[in-house]
Order: sequence, then structure tokens, then C-alpha cells
Amino acid sequence: MALSLTGYVVLAVLVLTIAAFFAAKSKAKSTANGDVRLLHSLPNYYGYNAAMFTAVPALGIMLIWLLAQPMMIENSVFKLIPERIVEEGSSRGLVMSDVRRVAEGLDIAVAQGAITDTEADNIRSEARDIRALLGEVGVALGSDVEPEVLFAAQEYRTLSSVGAFWMAVVVLGVAFIGAAVSIVVSKADFRARNTVERGALALLILAASLAIMTTVGIVLSMLFESINFFRLHSWTDFFFGGSWAPNFRGDSDLSILPLLWGTLYISVIALLVAVPIGLFAAIYLSEYAGPKVRSAAKPLLEILAGIPTIVYGLFALLTVGPALVSIFGRGDQGLLGVEWMSGATAVLTAGLVMGIMLIPFVSSLSDDIINAVPQAMRDGSFGLGATQSETIRQVVLPAALPGIVGAVLLAASRAIGETMIVVLGAGAIAKFSLNPLEAMTTITTRIVSQLTGDTDFASPETLVAFALGLTLFVLTLGLNVLALYIVRKYREQYE
Amino acid sequence: MNDMRILERDVDANAIKIAAKGVQVYYGDTHAIKDVDVDIQDKTVTAFIGPSGCGKSTFLRCLNRMNDTIDVARVEGDIRIDGEDIYDKAVDPVQLRAKVGMVFQKPNPFPKSIFDNVAYGPRIHGLAKNKSDLDDIVERALRRAAIWNEVKDRLAAPGTGLSGGQQQRLCIARAVATEPEVLLMDEPCSALDPIATAQVEELIDELRQNYSVVIVTHSMQQAARVSQKTAFFHLGNLVEYGETGQIFTNPEDPRTESYITGRIG
Ligand SMILES: Nc1ncnc2c1ncn2[C@@H]1O[C@H](COP(=O)(O)OP(=O)(O)OP(=O)(O)O)[C@@H](O)[C@H]1O
Ligand SMILES: [Mg+2]
Repeated sequence: MALSLTGYVVLAVLVLTIAAFFAAKSKAKSTANGDVRLLHSLPNYYGYNAAMFTAVPALGIMLIWLLAQPMMIENSVFKLIPERIVEEGSSRGLVMSDVRRVAEGLDIAVAQGAITDTEADNIRSEARDIRALLGEVGVALGSDVEPEVLFAAQEYRTLSSVGAFWMAVVVLGVAFIGAAVSIVVSKADFRARNTVERGALALLILAASLAIMTTVGIVLSMLFESINFFRLHSWTDFFFGGSWAPNFRGDSDLSILPLLWGTLYISVIALLVAVPIGLFAAIYLSEYAGPKVRSAAKPLLEILAGIPTIVYGLFALLTVGPALVSIFGRGDQGLLGVEWMSGATAVLTAGLVMGIMLIPFVSSLSDDIINAVPQAMRDGSFGLGATQSETIRQVVLPAALPGIVGAVLLAASRAIGETMIVVLGAGAIAKFSLNPLEAMTTITTRIVSQLTGDTDFASPETLVAFALGLTLFVLTLGLNVLALYIVRKYREQYE
Repeated sequence: MNDMRILERDVDANAIKIAAKGVQVYYGDTHAIKDVDVDIQDKTVTAFIGPSGCGKSTFLRCLNRMNDTIDVARVEGDIRIDGEDIYDKAVDPVQLRAKVGMVFQKPNPFPKSIFDNVAYGPRIHGLAKNKSDLDDIVERALRRAAIWNEVKDRLAAPGTGLSGGQQQRLCIARAVATEPEVLLMDEPCSALDPIATAQVEELIDELRQNYSVVIVTHSMQQAARVSQKTAFFHLGNLVEYGETGQIFTNPEDPRTESYITGRIG
């Protein structure tokens, strides 16, 4: 019943809002004796102002109420449940979810007419089989309902409906007061336009802070889990240890360094592939290509950027890896007749494919940056008798360099955080090695593997994933901040 | 106009450096230069005057093929420098621009040091034998552009950090450092104070000893002071071209007269 009451309240607030809109509008007009020019703001602004003051506080209070009420009710209901049940039922949360389920079941039963409302409030488990009753209306329970749980559930229902009633009263009251006040103040010299402006500003700030708050929330949750991890595992081993050997029976070596090594090694190879190719492609597209080539090639490159990384991972595993093996492996049957590479997964495989993935990223960023170098700069160089490549090398690229460095750093941070390609292409062996033909593993692949399968969120072997994730986050965040700083500094140069 | 006296300089029949015939320029569908014929003499300063948007810069840019860098621009007609058709397929525009230098309407220093800005052309064309030679070239160019005293202590500072007028003179220095045979100057003094203007005009007069200089200007006084020949452009047409003294004292076309007396423009 609570839900539908909520629905009615929302509906009533909306109706009131619309009414307040028109009432304030006509009130404002009438105070100006119908001459709109005498009003401080256009009539609609008085309407918007009234609508805003009717709807926003009322709906805001309602939202907070709906969030807070279940918590408060649970707190008071929980006192009704004796220790005995909690001990048997293992935890407070489980018992409370039983209570909620029974309460919901009773609601449904009442709604379907299986019992009346008063019956639901007074029913006793000694008198009737509640489990069977609720089963009939489609709410299956795992065990028979204890009398205390039933009593708690009934209390829960009562408190909920009382709470919902008061919520309706308060919300409608606030809406009425908001409407009344804003209609009364809608006189000719009331600055409705400015209030509406502030309302719009508040909305935008709310959106921005929600985005920031979620980020902060994500970081905090990672942080708390990481702190849990460091309670169970020494931080010196994590940051400075030499080996990664998780062991689900406990006593594992969980050091980030071998993983970081693999991550950085693969990223460097990826950048060695992506930066020259992407940059040259960008130079060709922005400086040499005619408008026709450009209009065809740019979207094509950007399509590359839209390919899901799992597809690149498959490409690494099924095409690039075997191709590399046939060059560097297979002994006498191989192209070089050597036996350097045994499996398809290797640092080189993952690095090459990741490099291919990053090419469009580097090239489209660099293209934008090169295009931002003013034509006057090129003209100046051409005017002195420089050729196109001299102009590019000596004027355009130096001018664009900070921006290009920024683009490369952004690409690096993507490479470090990339997951699917390395999961499929890099292998699973954590070690320090310089040989690019060996399989190695990265931070992201280890996060995936520590969290897949049967996991116990109290063991360091699982929690280490959060510490790894947090380190990765700090690393890429640092790179991004640096890159943005450089790019922005460069932008200012021409503005 | 007291300056008219200066014009009594002898302009002997110098050899013709640039000969343009039937030049048309289109920007897409806009016809910006309409059938212009002009002969620019060697060792002479030629002034282009005319109201804003009449095509002075456009015509100037034809003379060193800078319009090639604008996609929509199309140049027709015949322009010869020293008798050679510069729009011929055999002509390398890069070589041409080393010979025909340009100072742009808007100062456009490179985002490099002041020294590197001026040394840019000499380095590209290998004009300096060694480092001290290059230092000399840069210093001479900066002196000629009347900016040496202001920048001699900060040659390593970025050229983009100079004031607008200083940037304009830096660009002049950059252009003269390459020792072009023809120097095209598009409003080189538009941001300069009277003193710097006088110094740049002195430079122009000095350059005339060896080169031919074409200068676009909105200042009648400047045109009268520095040039021997003047061309008046109006709406893409070359209305009148002749001795500067003639144009300013006794113009043939009524449009020229109303422009120099301030009635159109
Ligand atoms: N890049 C361009 N694209 C299209 N039209 C152009 C371009 N440059 C110039 N024009 C047009 O050609 C005409 C002549 O321009 P131009 O720059 O030659 O004038 P101007 O005589 O130098 O004027 P000002 O004294 O203001 O510098 C103008 O109508 C202008 O709109
Ligand atoms: Mg111009």
C-alpha cells in the first residue's frame, strides 16, 4: 500500500505544481494590471518560480524520507527480535530480510484478498500456517515463520504505513506552503527571473557533484577494501616483494612488482607501435591528404577505435600469437628455425595488438592537436621558402609537441589499464624477464583472475584485487592529470 | 602633404622584375582579383593601396604563390619574375618563395626562440657557413628591422612572448635574413609606433638599393614617403598604377582621387 500512497503523493505534488505555475503567472500579471512590461520578469518566470518552490522541496523531502524510513523502521523492529533467533539465523541481516519478506508477503496477501488488513495485523503463527498462507499468494519462504519474526513483520507493516501516512502529510504540506508563498510573492517587482536562474544553477551543480561523488565513492570503496587487505597482508610485501604466488590455502606472496613490470613492458611495446604509426598517420591526414582522402580515412580510423577490446584479444590469441610463433618458434619448422617462443601468449603478442588498438587513439588526438596549430604558422614557414616536411618538422611538430606528449600519456594510461587484450594475449605467468617472447602477466589480468571463480572476500588472495585496482587507478589517474595539464597548457598558447 | 617633396627622387627606367598580365583570382565563387596587369620594377618600392577587402593581400600572395596553400583559391593569368613564368609546372614554389620573401599582415612568429625565428630561413637555405656566421646574420637582420636593441639580451626568449609591434618587426627581420630578391610586405607597420615605423621605412629605402620591395599600406603618407610607384586597387580591379608623385598629386581616375582624399575606403 505504501507504494501506491507514494504514487498518489507524487501525483498530487505534480498537480499542485502545475496549478501553482498558472496561479503565480496570472497573479503576477494581475499585479501589473495586465501590462507585461511593468513586470520585472516575463510572466512565465513567475510560473517557473512557483513550480520550482512547490515541487523541489516537497519531492526532495519525499526522497530523503523514502531513503531514511526503512532504516529507522528496521532499527526499531530489530529490537523486537530476541538474541536466540539471531544466533540461529546466523546474522542480523539475514533475520531482517526474513522479516521484510514476511511483511511483503502479508502485503501481497492483503492485496490479493486472501486475508483482510486487520487479520494481517492480528494473525498468530500458532493459529495459522503462515508459510502455507504466503506460499498460496506466491511468496515462498525457506522455513516456518517464528512467532517473533511474524510479530516483527507485523510491526514492520504498521510502522511502514504510519510512516507513509506522515510522509504524505509532510510532503503535501511542504508543497502547499511552497505554492502559497511563491504565489503570494509573485508581484510585479519580484525578481522571478533571477530565482529561476539560481534554480537552474543548482540543478547543474547537482549534476556535476553527482558525477564527482560517484567517482569519490568508487575510490573510497576501493580504499576500504584495500585497507582490509593491508590488515591481512603486509604492505611491504605488496609494494616491495619480489614474487606473485597466490595460494588459496594462505601464506601467499602477493607483490605488485612482477605484475607492474609485465604491465609496463607490454605498455611500452604498445606505445612503440602506436606512437610512430599514429603520429605519422595524423601528419599525413592533417597536412598532406586532400579533403576527399581525409573525409574517408578519418572515420575509418575512428571505427578502429570503436572495436571492442575483446575482439582485439581474440585477434591476439588466434592470429597474431600463432603468427609470431611461426616466426620465432617451432624449431626447424619455423620461419627462422629457432625455438625462442613456445606459446601464442607473450608480451610481444599483447603489446603488438594493444599498439594496434591505440593507433586510432593516438592519431585522432594528434590530428586534432596538429590542426590546432594556426595556419599562419605554416604560412610563415612556407613564406620563407621551407618545404612541407621542413615546415612540419621544424614548425608544426614543435608547436604541437606538448599536445602530442599529452596524447601519448593518455594512450599510455589506456595501455596500462587495458584488460581484455592482456587477459587473452599476455599469459598468466608473473615474472621479471626481458624476453618479449615469453608469457607474462599484468595487474589487470591478475585482478580478473583473483576475482573469478569461488572467492572469499575475507581472504587476502581476493582482497589483493582491490589493492591492485587502487594502485592501477592512482597510476592512470596520475598519468591522465599530467597529460591534461600538458594539453591544457598547450591550448593556452594559441588562445 | 609636405611629404610629396620626397617623391622627386629619380626613378629611372629600371628593369622590370615582376610582370603580371591578366591575373584573375577566385576564392571558390568569389572573384577577388579581376584581370590585373602590372609591371613591378627592380630596385623600386611599389606601394599597393586601396580600401579594405579590395584584394591587395590577395594579389601580393599571388607573387610568391602563397595562394597555393589555400584550398579554395584559384589563380589564372600570367606572372613572370625575371621573365620566368612562376606558375609554370617546372617552377618549384619552394625555391620561388626563398627568392620572393614575405612579411604577413598578421605577425606570425614561430613558437621558437627569437634567435631561432630569425635563423630559420638561413638554416633552411644553408646561408651560414658556421655558428658565428649565423650569429652575424641574425644580428644584422634584427638591426635592420630596428628591434635589435629591444631583444639583444633575450635572444633565447620565445618570439611569441613579444609585443604585437615587436612581433611584426621580428617577422620583418625573419624575412630579410633570407636575403630575398623581392620582398613583399603586407602592412608591415600596422602595429608600430611612429619611431619604429620610421626605422622600418628606412629599412625599406635601404633594401631598395638591391631589391625590389612591394608594400601594402593603409597609410597614404607612408605610401607617399617610401614608394616610387603606387598601385590603387578597388573591388578587385587595378584602377590606377603609376609614379607615386603622379598618383598622389594628379590622379587620372576619379576613384583614385576620392580614395586618397578620403572619400572612399
Ligand atoms: N582565404 C580566403 N577565402 C575566401 N575569401 C577570401 C580569402 N581571403 C580573402 N578573401 C576575400 O578576397 C577579397 C580580398 O581580400 P584581401 O585579403 O586580398 O583584401 P585586402 O585588400 O588585403 O584587405 P585588407 O586591407 O583589409 O587587408 C575579400 O573580399 C575577402 O573576403
Ligand atoms: Mg590585406
